[in-house]
Amino acid sequence: MIGPQTLVFLLIGASILLILVVVIRPSITASRQGKIIAFLALFIVPLVAAGVGASEHMERSEQTQFCLSCHIMEPYGRSLYVDDKAYIPAAHFQNHRIPADKACYTCHTDYAMFGTIHAKMEGLHHVYVYWFGTPMNPIRLYQPYNNRECLHCHSGARSFEESPTHTAMMGDLKSNKISCATGGCHDTFHNVDQLGHVKFWKPTE
Amino acid sequence: MLPKLRISGVLLILGLIVEALSLLWNNAFSFMSFVVIGGFLFASGMLLFLYSLVSSKTSAFDN
Repeated sequence: MIGPQTLVFLLIGASILLILVVVIRPSITASRQGKIIAFLALFIVPLVAAGVGASEHMERSEQTQFCLSCHIMEPYGRSLYVDDKAYIPAAHFQNHRIPADKACYTCHTDYAMFGTIHAKMEGLHHVYVYWFGTPMNPIRLYQPYNNRECLHCHSGARSFEESPTHTAMMGDLKSNKISCATGGCHDTFHNVDQLGHVKFWKPTE
Repeated sequence: MLPKLRISGVLLILGLIVEALSLLWNNAFSFMSFVVIGGFLFASGMLLFLYSLVSSKTSAFDN
């Protein structure tokens, strides 16, 4: 089975071969067919190859491995292995309540209209600041964490809906008046400044 | 027109090579290489090709 990456490489290879035909023998553009080949080789096919490549890169940028490739994110990656279920990201990651290979993206994207585009633009901003600017220290969210991102999965789940605590404040939770993250209930997150004092979980191979 | 076509082709090939290389790794550096270096080479190659079409006295589409 040919994977998406192999397809991209095949497309790039075919595109390079087509361009080489025009580069080595530009005189073919004298004929009508040659002009069509040149237009395909130098415009349409590279445009498609670049588009497919960009799409592949955007897909990969959702992966945990991608987010943790910046040195500054290393402690956040380690915090996913804290052996304490009070740590919300660690508990979600270790128990596969979120896809482990897209852990950062799953919780830090916006589940709203154009949320994916918004998340990608913020991601581009992060990369820009990391390479060309000065990242904030300590890292903070741009905006307070929205309950919408928690409710995207938890809303409708039996364990969430039947919890008396949740039921009592369901309206306020859904309207974001009480924050899941800072309302005093689930407020232990990455806490990277505490990582020197915690126990870590070692996954078995 | 022909030298412009050749330069345009070479720029596009370089852009495609950068794209292929950037896809070998999954990190922020490869992504930035694709966007900045690859994007620059792609844009230059395509714009030069389009310019060669409109600037040539005997345009590629005249016949």
